Amino acid sequence: MIAQALADGIFTGAIVALGAIGVSFTLQIMRFANFSHSELITWGAYLALVFVAFAGPGTPTGPFTFGWQLLAAAAMAALLTGLAAWGVDVLVFRRLRRRGAHPLAMVFAAFGAALVMRHLVVLVWGHESRFYTRELQIAWQVMGVKVLPDQAFILLLAVAVVTVLHLFLAYSRTGMAMRAMAESPALAQACGIRTEAVIRTTWIVSGALAALAGVFAGLTPQLHPEIGFNLLLALFAAAILGGSGSLPGAVIGGLLVGIAENVALLFVNPGYKGAMPFLLLLLVLLVRPQGIFGEKGER
Amino acid sequence: MVATPRKSVAFAVAAVGLLCAGTTSAQVACPVKIGGVLPLTGSMAPITKKIAQAAELAIEHINQGGGIKGCPVQFILRDDQGQPTVGVDAAKYLVEVERVAAFTGTISSGITGPIISSVTAPSRVVQITCCSTASAFTLDGRSGGYFFRTIPTSKTQAYATATETARRGFKRTAVIYVNTDFGTDMLRFYRQAVAKLGGDIVVEVPYNDNQPSYRAEVTRALAAKPESLLLIGFPKDAVTIVREWLSLGGPRQVALNNSMRTMDFVNGVGARFVEDFFGMDNAQVAGPHVDAFNRLFEEKYKADTKGPGIHTQYDAVMVLGLAMNIAKDLTGPSIRDAVRQVHAPNGTVVGTGPAEFRKALELIRAGRPIKYHGATGPIEFDANGDVTGPALVWRITNGQIVTDRVISIEEMQALFKRIDG
Repeated sequence: MIAQALADGIFTGAIVALGAIGVSFTLQIMRFANFSHSELITWGAYLALVFVAFAGPGTPTGPFTFGWQLLAAAAMAALLTGLAAWGVDVLVFRRLRRRGAHPLAMVFAAFGAALVMRHLVVLVWGHESRFYTRELQIAWQVMGVKVLPDQAFILLLAVAVVTVLHLFLAYSRTGMAMRAMAESPALAQACGIRTEAVIRTTWIVSGALAALAGVFAGLTPQLHPEIGFNLLLALFAAAILGGSGSLPGAVIGGLLVGIAENVALLFVNPGYKGAMPFLLLLLVLLVRPQGIFGEKGER
Repeated sequence: MVATPRKSVAFAVAAVGLLCAGTTSAQVACPVKIGGVLPLTGSMAPITKKIAQAAELAIEHINQGGGIKGCPVQFILRDDQGQPTVGVDAAKYLVEVERVAAFTGTISSGITGPIISSVTAPSRVVQITCCSTASAFTLDGRSGGYFFRTIPTSKTQAYATATETARRGFKRTAVIYVNTDFGTDMLRFYRQAVAKLGGDIVVEVPYNDNQPSYRAEVTRALAAKPESLLLIGFPKDAVTIVREWLSLGGPRQVALNNSMRTMDFVNGVGARFVEDFFGMDNAQVAGPHVDAFNRLFEEKYKADTKGPGIHTQYDAVMVLGLAMNIAKDLTGPSIRDAVRQVHAPNGTVVGTGPAEFRKALELIRAGRPIKYHGATGPIEFDANGDVTGPALVWRITNGQIVTDRVISIEEMQALFKRIDG
């Protein structure tokens, strides 16, 4: 029972983690809570749907419900959502930033952007649920734990993506510039880092990861315009839990949120499931306010 | 269409003035406003579109048939987004700002309940719902008699479900239910009925709507090693739950509630996976007035009338239209009393559509009683403001929703007697 709950938690946690990375980056590099991040997840999911509508999800390959076409669609959606995230920045957040807007103004702008973005999806695709594929798969039994092949695949892909991202941050010039910005924007600028270029990269990377989270969330099993919004609070819980600006922090935070939701159900009424990440968050804020991987004295 | 706040205030002042003057004549400000709240967006949105259309159609028929007290009717429909706070705000706006004379809505019992307790009952505005079945509203006295519904309560559906699951030999049933008034109510009555009719419940798992995944809930239900499932909820989440249930190896003996009687559910899960799933709904009484409604709806919207809530919503608005014409004025208490005269024992039968409404108006003007036979059959409210009705068992066969059998109103009454003693 506990093993099953752990496994389920890791699978949902992987999706939360992909979304939380972007939230964590914007919190640390751009210094505001981007409440429109959840809508990038929705956009990613629906943009992939456009490609799936043309090419189909592909014939089920091996134990999976989809073929290479869905992965190609996910890649295209990641690219477009990355650009869209940057587009929203150019349209909304950059203007405010240049005017030296208060962080709270940025947060309200983010709420506004979120509403517009969500309702654009409703306008184009409507309220009905949509599906990438109508296939239904039967779970594998792995050491007494039921695992869906798709979810195992998603988990592996998420691990691969996070690994690549980690290498990018650790060794590429842009990655190092991003980390420098996260440490101190003023110092980074003084060192000759082009902050606007770093911010652009941050948006594109965050958007792309959000899109992947959206596609994965939509695959199990349906897409609807609130798909991102329903994840929003979990994303923030994960980002703050891990310590903002930290890649491993966001990943661990995401997994912990997923596990907390699922394991808690063994002990409490499922009606309280949604409260679990926040109890965890409260606990962390009380005991270690900078988050698990956050630097002390940063804020 | 929507009046500016200033106009509304002026209207409100005028209305208050009218009341204070103690005018007893049926002098009415035109247009007469009827307010509505429905979940146009959110997890109920897939089934709401047609329900909203049915309400609009009823308003159109009332207007074509002569309106209310000589005035055209204006219908103001607001969205509750499936959320109690939003629904209560919308209802408050309609009652306090728009000053609607009567109110219809909403679907989810979890929203209808707060609207009754904090808006319509204290303001003494008559509310008729198409779809909220939680039995408490009409039994616990909170409504002050201002609340009616054109759909039988969840008790009818729960008892019908229990007799069908017993007939099909359900054993070791897991119940997964939406954690709202509706869900807990259905479960409570189902539990009562199963105790008398046979079968057993091994686990009861509540769920909250709009979650990205229900693996944890499904896993918890499966841990009790059930042999069958009763799923009580709403279509969008139910698609996720059923897919996860089947993926994780849950048994294929599955019973559903009325909300799942929609192709969105069947196609959502995938037709080939839900073969022989069955559920309950309120039965469609056959007859000329039902056919007339179906034909008018199909002509207008080029869509069939299959799905929950469509017929009951039409009747909810038509009953308001009739009652408001019968009432001596458009105050809450007068309309409330008039609702009970829509189906007078010795009245002349009037049916659906504009022509029948016109006929009803002539009878009312002549001071003669009427007996409304609506899109769901004869509409007769009991002392609590509830209707009783037959139920039907539907099942999914070859990707289509077909009627399995009808439980007549006599069988239903016998069932009530057997379970309640």
